[in-house]
Amino acid sequence: MEALIHNLKLSWHSIKRAPLPYALTLLILSLGLGTFFSNATLYYWMNRDPIPEKSQTLFMARMNSTPGDCTDCFEPPRVISYMDVQKMSGSGITSAEAAMYSSNAYAKTVENQQATPSQVELRVTQRDFFKLFNVPFLQGETWPDNKARMEVVISKNTAIKFFGRTEVVGQDMLIDDQLYKVIGVLDDWSMLPRLYDVNGRRSAEPVEDIYIPLETAYDLAIQSNTQNSFFDVDWDGDMATYPQMARTNFVNQLQFWVQLDSPEKVQQYQQYLKNLVQDEKAAGRHTRPEGNKLDNILNVQKALRATNDQLDAFALVASLFLLVCVVNASHLSLNRYMANQYEFSLRRALGASRWQLQSQIMADVLVSSALAFAAALLFAQLGLWTINSLLPGTRALASWDWQMLSVMALFVMLISYLVTLYPALKTSFSPLNQQLKQ
Amino acid sequence: MIKINNLSKIFRTDLIETHALRQINLQVNEGEFAALTGPSGSGKSTLLNVLGTLESFDQGDYLLDGRSVKGLSDRELSALRNEKIGFIFQGFNLIKDFSLFDNIELPLRYRGFSSAERKRRVEHALETVGLAARRDYHPSQLSGGQQQRVAIARAIAGEPRILLADEPTGNLDSLMARQVMELLEKINQQGCTILMVTHDPDQARRANRHIQIVDGQLNDSSMYEPLAAGA
Repeated sequence: MEALIHNLKLSWHSIKRAPLPYALTLLILSLGLGTFFSNATLYYWMNRDPIPEKSQTLFMARMNSTPGDCTDCFEPPRVISYMDVQKMSGSGITSAEAAMYSSNAYAKTVENQQATPSQVELRVTQRDFFKLFNVPFLQGETWPDNKARMEVVISKNTAIKFFGRTEVVGQDMLIDDQLYKVIGVLDDWSMLPRLYDVNGRRSAEPVEDIYIPLETAYDLAIQSNTQNSFFDVDWDGDMATYPQMARTNFVNQLQFWVQLDSPEKVQQYQQYLKNLVQDEKAAGRHTRPEGNKLDNILNVQKALRATNDQLDAFALVASLFLLVCVVNASHLSLNRYMANQYEFSLRRALGASRWQLQSQIMADVLVSSALAFAAALLFAQLGLWTINSLLPGTRALASWDWQMLSVMALFVMLISYLVTLYPALKTSFSPLNQQLKQ
Repeated sequence: MIKINNLSKIFRTDLIETHALRQINLQVNEGEFAALTGPSGSGKSTLLNVLGTLESFDQGDYLLDGRSVKGLSDRELSALRNEKIGFIFQGFNLIKDFSLFDNIELPLRYRGFSSAERKRRVEHALETVGLAARRDYHPSQLSGGQQQRVAIARAIAGEPRILLADEPTGNLDSLMARQVMELLEKINQQGCTILMVTHDPDQARRANRHIQIVDGQLNDSSMYEPLAAGA
């Protein structure tokens, strides 16, 4: 410990001797690291497993039931119809299943009807949604079944925003002028990336404010705000006929998620879908080739071609920028070490081994790492703020947890060591006598 | 103490080879105060650096305290320098950001002495050179002569077997040079072997042995004994 303190003291003396070159080295290094960290933060959040405890059991199921003859159309649509969901549900194989889509509306409380309604994000879904994605309840519970009912589950933030408190089960809310009763309030919950909603590349957005039963949404003609495809539908636009029309035509807007707890269950459900297609074909429906898809939640972005190529490109650019910064910082560091080489030679002459010099250099790395880490975090925050301003959909991805911070700190140490490595080796192995002779 | 046999040192560049030391044989016995003189470029500093293991050599053998330095690892050479050799440089080579205490303490740290032992040795060395009251001063607060005394204190704090001094009075006026020489004589009288490079014939005369080097070859008729085979 005493040796470490001594070496840290020497590092501080070395910085004081030439503060400007040191500050410049640190600035360049921190800029590269900060840029890298802001992109790495987005990349990390977008590519992590949001629900590791059960991600292996969650699947998005699709059928290739779109009408029309097309013998080489094997890829099912991204969203499926109400009719498809009805057929794919109730297999008895899944341990949870829910169809869903996103929408939005304007909401206010009954007590405050004069207030201007606020826009809210809706998730139109079924009872098992909360079980599928381990969504915690603070108050109340989910719907008892999948029937239409004027009942909603709301997030904790929504409860506080509209009612000023969380104990609001039994309270009424007006959503697009329809009266709903609150039956449940969710606890703090986020899912990043929100892989149940990758269509339209919305997986970086925060979780929804209000959850509405699917059948109710169909009855009230609440449509998806992500993707709503009509195939061979003859509809005059009369909203009164929408509930019947949307339930009996290829109005594709739903994603259907199932929980399959073992590989055997996965196989069984695949067979179930296969049999379903055969039955449909026998009945003269399902004219396209069989194209059933059962995509695991971790593969769903790729399956829906919803990966963020921009993010990959940014990550590559940030990595190259970091490389340039490391090379420049290393060059500046070399100049600084060469300026101090006489002192290194003196230490060697006085009996310091190369290993003892390395421990001094490690103290330099430690000091540089601490300063570079703090500065890099500032630059990274600035970078994230800029990215969030340009791409509002990434706002939920701007935070760091302790695990990330630890990895970032280790990375800074590694990079600081790399920046110091060549100058240190060059200094340690240079001839002693020339530097000591004046 | 020091025995070198047929030692040669060649500096090479892409174009030329310079024979800095040619087949040198030398023995320095314990307790000697030897002056090494010669014109500029004759090889005296190179010889001192080789003896101090700051510089490698190409041919021959060098025994310090009966042990050949040839083939020693970096760690072994560093330990040898730290424990057996004290350096005194013309330009003092003190670290200006350090106090006198810290400067003298530095080689003792590499030796792994405890804090208390380092303190005892530094204070004793400062007393020896007459600067005990200025232990917290920085080099820039001292005269040239005082700085060289600090450098001497640093060299003797580890109680080395031999002091290698490269023109220790080269940057000092005559008064300060005399004080430094008196100090070196005092240290020599206490049993420390000293080999000093100097340009100054008067100072060379104060040593009890005078070795001349010209064109990388020694002219020293006194006290030379060839190395015994395998010694």
